[in-house]
Amino acid sequence: MSKKRQLRFTMMSIALTMAAIVLFLLATLVDSFSTYGIPMMAAGLVLLVTSWAIYFFGERSAKPAKEEPKETVMTVIGCKNCDMREERAFVQGDYIFKDMGPCKKCSGSSYIKAIYAVPIKKE
Amino acid sequence: MVSIGQLFPIGNDTYSLIINVVWFVAFFVIILFFNQRMQIWTYQRNVENATKRLEKLAEKSREDALKTIKQFAPDNTDIRSQVTGFLDFFAIEPVDRDPYGVLNRLEHMIDDRQGRFKDFVARIEPNGSKIDRTKTEGVLEVAMSLNLIFKVVRHYLLLGKKTKSLMIFVQLDMQLPQIMKMAEAYYVAQDTFATGKPMGDGLGALVASKFINGAPTKPIAEDIIYSEIDISGRKAFVLKAEGPDFTVGKPGEAVKRLVEGREGKIARIIMIDAAGKLEGETTGEVVEGVGAAIGDPGPEKYKIEEVATKYNIPVDAIICKMDIDEALTTMKKEVVEASDIIVERIKKMIAERTKEGDTIIIAGIGNTTGVAQ
Repeated sequence: MSKKRQLRFTMMSIALTMAAIVLFLLATLVDSFSTYGIPMMAAGLVLLVTSWAIYFFGERSAKPAKEEPKETVMTVIGCKNCDMREERAFVQGDYIFKDMGPCKKCSGSSYIKAIYAVPIKKE
Repeated sequence: MVSIGQLFPIGNDTYSLIINVVWFVAFFVIILFFNQRMQIWTYQRNVENATKRLEKLAEKSREDALKTIKQFAPDNTDIRSQVTGFLDFFAIEPVDRDPYGVLNRLEHMIDDRQGRFKDFVARIEPNGSKIDRTKTEGVLEVAMSLNLIFKVVRHYLLLGKKTKSLMIFVQLDMQLPQIMKMAEAYYVAQDTFATGKPMGDGLGALVASKFINGAPTKPIAEDIIYSEIDISGRKAFVLKAEGPDFTVGKPGEAVKRLVEGREGKIARIIMIDAAGKLEGETTGEVVEGVGAAIGDPGPEKYKIEEVATKYNIPVDAIICKMDIDEALTTMKKEVVEASDIIVERIKKMIAERTKEGDTIIIAGIGNTTGVAQ
């Protein structure tokens, strides 16, 4: 479920609960509402039930969020003769100890030294 | 002023009496008859949401498996029905009421299952190379696991609905966090398997590869290769599954053959594997211990323990801690860094616990997908 949608349902549920509490307090403490005391409390009860229903059924109707990748995979290329180190995104077909031809720095033998996943930092 | 007490009126008038009676009847009806039903609704809702997610994962995983297979399948072949049918393939564990020889029987059953898997993949992927086929085996394993998890959870959901049993829902709901974690990990792992990236479980294979470092290798057991190298004047047989295929091989059989081949003249066996971490532990933490560090169903571990006991060979274990999802998905940077620490620690261990001229075995355990040698 999308976080935005979930938040909206939670806020609605909280707002209705707060409204119910306000109604209960008004009916109980304010003299001018004394005539409508019981209907107001009944309305408060209805608001509480609605709040619960939104919490309960709201999640079902919400659409799932689009899944985004959480990490990126990097390939590290090294050389057997020198300290050359090159890092690039993983390409299908890469594997550790794969021969990558002559080294760009010393013309020695380069190879894939490591492949690992790093988490994508959220901006 | 009106008070809350008005909802619970205590008076002599008929109106108050009726409200009072209705309120108390409603209260007891809810408490006595609907209390459990409301709890069931709450738990059922959680389980239904989880089941929907599992169904989606199982479907997506099957579609991804079909996509992988299609690349190497001949045109105009109905792979969908074949793969869908194969997802329900099962293997029955041997009877253990009479435990005598149970591991031999288990190994036979595992070999048989593996053989059927290989045959099936070879049939639907005639155009694939050996490495492509091993990757497909991994992808199919994931699709089968997710299909099974979904079906089992759905079974208990429907059973709970049918019997209106709160206990079924409560038990299921309590296990859901672990089940969902495992299912999500399997799903993410499928991409790792399909693309041939090294996985966290391949740590042992990576450490062994760092020792072999391009030296000539020979096959020793099914999907296992070994290399003979020199470490500080000691002869070391370094073994691992043959990479970069998606395989774990039979390291137990390999260790047994190497030890038997030298009539037990092995000073130490050093095993490296990935291990599950406890909550609060750090990924990539390296820990030492003793015993056969291998997480197979039993046969391979048994062979190592048996041969080590027979010839009284000490078995050292070095493990690298990681979560289950980290073991199944692409290797984390911390794990790669841990492999260098382990290499140094093994060298130190060899220098301290063996003497020049000794022969040792270094066994890198784990799935070697994406890790050559």
